[in-house]
Amino acid sequence: MTETLLRLAGVGYTYRGGAGVRDVDLEVHAGEIHALVGLNGAGKSTLMKLVLGMVQRQRGSVDVMGTDVARAGPEVWANVGAFVEHPLAYGELDAATNLALASRLHGVGPRDVPAAVDAVLEELDLVRYARVQVRRLSAGNAQRVGLAAALAHGPRLLVLDEPTSALDPAGIISLREALLRRAATGAGVLVSSHHLDEVARIADRISVIAEGRMVGSLDPGGVDIERAFFARVHDEVTS
Amino acid sequence: MNAFRTALAVETRKARSSSSLRATGLLLAFGVPGIVAATIAAVRGAGTPEARAQLLAKMGPQIASADWNALVLAATQVTAAASVLAFGVGAAWIVGREFADGTAPALFGLPVRRSAIVSAKLVVHLSWAVLVTLTLVGVLTLAGLALGLGAPGHDAVLGLARIVALGALSALVALCAAVAATIGRGILPGVAVAAVSIVAAQVSAFAGAPPWLPLAAPAMWAMDPGAVSLGPLVLVVAFGAACAAVTVALWDRLQLAR
Repeated sequence: MTETLLRLAGVGYTYRGGAGVRDVDLEVHAGEIHALVGLNGAGKSTLMKLVLGMVQRQRGSVDVMGTDVARAGPEVWANVGAFVEHPLAYGELDAATNLALASRLHGVGPRDVPAAVDAVLEELDLVRYARVQVRRLSAGNAQRVGLAAALAHGPRLLVLDEPTSALDPAGIISLREALLRRAATGAGVLVSSHHLDEVARIADRISVIAEGRMVGSLDPGGVDIERAFFARVHDEVTS
Repeated sequence: MNAFRTALAVETRKARSSSSLRATGLLLAFGVPGIVAATIAAVRGAGTPEARAQLLAKMGPQIASADWNALVLAATQVTAAASVLAFGVGAAWIVGREFADGTAPALFGLPVRRSAIVSAKLVVHLSWAVLVTLTLVGVLTLAGLALGLGAPGHDAVLGLARIVALGALSALVALCAAVAATIGRGILPGVAVAAVSIVAAQVSAFAGAPPWLPLAAPAMWAMDPGAVSLGPLVLVVAFGAACAAVTVALWDRLQLAR
């Protein structure tokens, strides 16, 4: 049986003002890429924040690697890599130093850091920027550094919120291939997007979220999934 | 402890590359001796008699001797005010930058807890403040020698040592800026609290406030050790420890709801 790395059951969270998510069920299994698509403000980022403990659920349960997120300790988080809102990268430091610090914070031992950094620089085609301060990089390349920071320690679960928002086509291909490689070795990936981009298209499962609720799924191999996506969203908005 | 060591290594590396900490530290370490050396030079003969009289009225008649004791006394006065502001800016930046730069969300979901990360930040802040104060005292000593004051005597050496202690105590007082930066989610709230702290300390000193007021006690002790007992100084340490504890607790419970 495939291991469940992430499970949300009946999850709800309401911000002051009424927005949020409600009754969300979602799972990510080992070896699976699960894409979450929805329009801006649909609740994708809130779900990611709930998974990482940035906000505490008000209803339901969130289990990360089989542990309630509120009780998850270092042994759980050492297996998770995330990119939500902003990369773990500081402008005054170069890309390689940022990745070394991120690796340390993700539990990589000091002796293993150089190899981890070199590998992920190569994987995301960042070698030429290794000694460039992040503040001097383009937004797309800074985002690549942030994604590399989430990948460098070889996590078993990846949580990526809008990871392609600033990437150029070459960056999207690098990321897509990196995610496929990780999934092939047993990692689970939860990736959100507000459009059906290249990353959503490599997913094993695509879930649609609208107005804070999961409103259905899309067939990743479908010929006209944009039309199907808008149909799902339209049904939810007009119901 | 392992997590704290990792966080300390990370925060130390970030601080080493920080132009904000470097600029603030250099401004204090060279600015205070520069101002004080210029004052002593003025008292020794530069400028008009009227200007000299105004200077003595502002800094106090004790600096009229223009010797090592005058240099140390003037440096203590200026350091007392400037260090709380400079170290408050440093504390506000070290803590508040994670919100200002947008990196705070990336500090969730890590095996190193946020409480360990912010504890490391506070240790880096205190270490930086002591390093800056030691540099200040070193530059001040060189300035005294350059002014031709000769080798500092026993009292002057004790006064220089008190400036180092004053810097450390000011760094503890300045931790209130870390609390403000956390609550206000940015650098500016911390800087604002540091500015208010220094104004409150100056006003309370002028108004003859009791020495147990944490904001005023370090300066009053450094200027006149006999006027302040151990109690108020212990209270300063307790105030700094309380600010540190509140900052760590706030980071441990941090939520990023919009």
